[in-house]
Amino acid sequence: MFEEYDDYRKQIREFGLKEFTDEVAAKYDRGEEYPDYLRKKSLSVGIIDMHNPAKILISIEELCRVDAGLGISVTTPYFGAEVLMLFGNDKQKEFLNDVYSGKYVLGLGVTEASGGSDVAHIKTTATKKGDKYILNGSKMFITNGAIADYLVVLARTSDEDKPHHGLSTFLLSTKLNGFKANKLTGKLGVRATNTAELTFNNIELNSEDLIGEEGKGFYYIMAFFNISRIYVAAQALGIAEGAFDKIQDYIKANEIKDENTMFEIADVATRIEAAKELTYNAASYLFKFEPRPQLTSMAKAYAGETAVYASEKAMEILGTNSLEENVERIFRNAKIMEIWEGTSEVEKLVISRFILKGE
Amino acid sequence: MSNLNEENNILRDTVREFCEKNLDEKKIEEEKIDNNINSLLASQGFLGAKISSKYGGSELDDISYHIILEEFSKYLPSIAMKIFMINSLYLPSVINTEYESYLPDVSSGKMNVSVDFMNNKYKLEYSNNVNGTVENILNTDAENIVLFDGKTTIVEGPFKTREKDFMGFKGLKFGSIELNNKYNVIDKNSRKEKIMENSYNDLSAIALGIISGAIDKAMNYSRVRTVFGAYLKNYEPLVFKLSEMYSKENILRSILYSNLDKYYTFNFAMNSIVEIARFSVNTHGGYGYFKDFGVEKFYRDAIILKSVFYGNNELKQLSNHIYSEKLTFI
Ligand SMILES: Cc1cc2nc3c(=O)[nH]c(=O)nc-3n(C[C@H](O)[C@H](O)[C@H](O)COP(=O)(O)OP(=O)(O)OC[C@H]3O[C@@H](n4cnc5c(N)ncnc54)[C@H](O)[C@@H]3O)c2cc1C
Repeated sequence: MFEEYDDYRKQIREFGLKEFTDEVAAKYDRGEEYPDYLRKKSLSVGIIDMHNPAKILISIEELCRVDAGLGISVTTPYFGAEVLMLFGNDKQKEFLNDVYSGKYVLGLGVTEASGGSDVAHIKTTATKKGDKYILNGSKMFITNGAIADYLVVLARTSDEDKPHHGLSTFLLSTKLNGFKANKLTGKLGVRATNTAELTFNNIELNSEDLIGEEGKGFYYIMAFFNISRIYVAAQALGIAEGAFDKIQDYIKANEIKDENTMFEIADVATRIEAAKELTYNAASYLFKFEPRPQLTSMAKAYAGETAVYASEKAMEILGTNSLEENVERIFRNAKIMEIWEGTSEVEKLVISRFILKGE
Repeated sequence: MSNLNEENNILRDTVREFCEKNLDEKKIEEEKIDNNINSLLASQGFLGAKISSKYGGSELDDISYHIILEEFSKYLPSIAMKIFMINSLYLPSVINTEYESYLPDVSSGKMNVSVDFMNNKYKLEYSNNVNGTVENILNTDAENIVLFDGKTTIVEGPFKTREKDFMGFKGLKFGSIELNNKYNVIDKNSRKEKIMENSYNDLSAIALGIISGAIDKAMNYSRVRTVFGAYLKNYEPLVFKLSEMYSKENILRSILYSNLDKYYTFNFAMNSIVEIARFSVNTHGGYGYFKDFGVEKFYRDAIILKSVFYGNNELKQLSNHIYSEKLTFI
């Protein structure tokens, strides 16, 4: 699948191998620093093409295969764009061009300290006052939180019997008074990515900052996750492939031939292949505008678990040789794949619900 | 735990109190185990747990030693690793040699020592001094280091070291050492294989501590965190898994302290440790991914313990043990 992009894939891989050297990856991982120059570079050579979802998928996979911390850093400044693309007004859609061109960094703020899985129960409020909305509350673990120029934010605009009914999405400029971002440090992995805790203190939003219709925010975010999860599956697939690269290099360089190890690599390879088929299959429906959320969630959960499995196997098979920073970094990066954009448990809820609904 | 007596329980409580009172796990992971902590550990007899009393050690029995390893590991595995290195690796390396004379300073915390258990091959040159680089040394600030270079060799510091960031057992300095140092062969045979095989129960105790620490944190979190309007402890898949893991923890504790069979115990410990540490991170959601919650360290140390100490070689030993013969594999 996606064979027509083989040349593009090669180009991306070359960029990754050239720019994401072990030294660079280690530096940004250790320092927990966002590599803004790589974001700019990735744009200047035109490897990020936000108009073609298949290309996005491939670039994420190939860059995360080289290093997920850097790979995610350069492919995530557009995070949340689909909400604007699908539901935004003309001005917001136009604004997206500035995001795609790299002028602005975007992010998406849904999770709060009190809960990430349970989106409907968020506590941030946007209270209507005349033709303004006043935003109050906080967000937790927001990628790009401290570097973003704009954020897509989910907030409660009304109290309804069903909690997911009173939510709305807004496009928020981080320059506005009342916005504060506190960079979070001490992550296990993907340490080059920027993560922050945000506080909103009486931020004044205009009515044209509302994305789509009031009260529809929950649905917009769920629709967004049904798209973005395919890209997380691609991140995970890339990590698994990167771990497998290390395993193969090690086995070949050390001429390891014992049967137990052969069986282990067969298992890792099989799971990666299955994750790939699942991801590409789900992606092909999505990119034809015939999304099958259960397939997307299966791909995200399975690829996430495969990333973790392959990275743990890399550690175990390489034994003391795994202590090299660029192998253990893969292990540390992999674990986030089972957490963000729906934990594996949340994906299982989505999968079973869709199946039972017969969709 | 029927096979543990009152004295054992008192020891367990003592270690717990010691950790809570004296150790700051995050600070130690950042700033490493320093002389101050060494002295504290020594003053309570933990550093020289297995060392003979004639050398100032505590000369503890296996059960007491394992309780110490388990409890420290449950708090911060790096401390358990430090105690393990001294008592399970260094002590049997120097026993019955003139280097027993170092043991009083080791048990009192005055002499910091290390044993290289990671490398299998060395490229070293020997003349009056030993020359070459040795990678992957844990506790690089040691004053002397035992190497198993086909023989058993003690190399005297000070060492020219290059520290590396290392995700496992972060409380200990890690890196490579560039040798141009005095050395002495203390045994013409390598003591490594026997030492490692004899340390299975000790490693299982460290693994048990990691498992127990990880499960404790996850179960506690499940009692206070709510999702979708209910405590995590009300969700079947999560609690079924935690309960299964809690059972495993107690099976491991029971087989370890009843001294069932060190091979079975070690195998069971190594096959449970990573999955359990990982699930504890999962249970904490996003918080599990940050060091503040003190749970990701168990996952890091678990994979390192398994990757370094358990592999084909250990599986062969288990199989040989079970078949009661030295099997030849194709
Ligand atoms: C590095 C990082 C970056 C992130 N970036 C972003 C971002 O850019 N934007 C954003 O909005 N969020 C972001 N997140 C948040 C992330 O999406 C949440 O952490 C995730 O959704 C889980 O939410 P939580 O942490 O609140 O865990 P909780 O929701 O509290 O879940 C705790 C545990 O309960 C389990 N659980 C939940 N419901 C059930 C159930 N019904 N049955 C069984 N088990 C259940 C979960 O699987 C998990 O194991 C980020 C997180 C991290 C760590």
